[in-house]
Amino acid sequence: MNRTVLVIGILITAAIVALFAFSFGRDPQHINSPLVGRIAPRFALRAVGTGEIVDIESLRGKPVVLNFWATWCMPCHAEHPILQQASRALGSDVQFVGVVFGDTEENIQAFIRERGEAYPTLLDDKGKTSIAYGVGGVPETFFIDRNGKIVAKYEGPLSFEMLQTYVRKVLS
Amino acid sequence: MIALLLVLMLQTTKVPDAAQFVGAPQSTPLAGAQLDTRTVEIAGQLRCPVCQGLSVGDSPSAMAMNMKEQVRELLARGYTREQILAYFEQSYGEFVLLKPKFRGVDSLVWLLPLIALAIGGALVAMKMRKLERPVATAPHDAGDEYVNRVRQLVEKE
Repeated sequence: MNRTVLVIGILITAAIVALFAFSFGRDPQHINSPLVGRIAPRFALRAVGTGEIVDIESLRGKPVVLNFWATWCMPCHAEHPILQQASRALGSDVQFVGVVFGDTEENIQAFIRERGEAYPTLLDDKGKTSIAYGVGGVPETFFIDRNGKIVAKYEGPLSFEMLQTYVRKVLS
Repeated sequence: MIALLLVLMLQTTKVPDAAQFVGAPQSTPLAGAQLDTRTVEIAGQLRCPVCQGLSVGDSPSAMAMNMKEQVRELLARGYTREQILAYFEQSYGEFVLLKPKFRGVDSLVWLLPLIALAIGGALVAMKMRKLERPVATAPHDAGDEYVNRVRQLVEKE
C-alpha cells in the first residue's frame, strides 16, 4: 500500500511540476489571436481632425500596420514616436493606421497637436472595431498583408526592431 | 451639389459586422423584457478581456459595457446565443468563453476533477477493505499449548 501511495504521490507531483514548467515564461494575458491568417474584419472609420473616412478595404494592395492605442495608455506614448518615425521612413510602401480605443476626440486632438501625426488616426465609436479585432488592451498592433490577410498581432509597445521584423513579414 | 451629397452619402462609417464572422441572424429579433433577460444571460457567459476573472455582465469597465451593448444589439437583430458566442470567440479566441468547451486540451478541465474523484474513491475503498479484513490470529490449540507451558513453568517454581 505504501508503495502505491508513493507512486501516486510521485505521479501527481510530476504532473504539477510539468504544468508549472509549461506555464513559466508564458504571459497568462497573452492569447493567440484567432484572426491571424484570416482576412482583416472590414471597417470604415472617421479620421480625427480631417474627418476623412478611411476604409480598410480601400487599402488592399498595400501592407497595413493597424495600431490600436489610447491617449491614457502610457506604453502607447512610448510607442508613438517609433510608429511615426517608421511610417515616415517607409513612406507609401506601408500604410500605417491608428484606431483609438476608449478615448475622446478632444484628448486625441490635443495629443496629436503636441506630438505630431504621420498617418490617420481613426475614431472607434463604442469600441466595435476593437471588439471585432479582439483587442483586450492597448497598444495592440495588427500587421496586414497586401491581400488584406492578418499576418501577425503584437501585444504591447513595439520597439523599432520588433516593428522592423513584423514589417518585413508583411512586405515579403 | 448632388455629386457632393452623393459623396457624403457614400462616405459613411462602417464597423465590422457580426455577419462577416457568423453570417446572417438565425432567429427572430428580441425586444423588451426578453431582450434584457437574454442580454444579461449571454453577457454572463463572456469573459471581460480587460478584467481579472469577471464576466462582461459583472464588469463596470468601458470595454465590458461596449461588449454587453453589442450582445444586446445582436439579439435585437435576431442573432442566436450560439452565433453571438461564436462571434466573440472568433475575435478573442476561446479565452472569452467563461465556460470552456469540451474539446481538445480544454476537456481536461472537465475530466480531471472526475479522474481525481475516481482515484480518491478507489484509494478509500481499498483502505476500507483492508480495515474490514479479519486479523489473522494464532490457532486456538497453539494458544492453549502456550498457556499450558507457561502454567507448567510457573507451577514448577
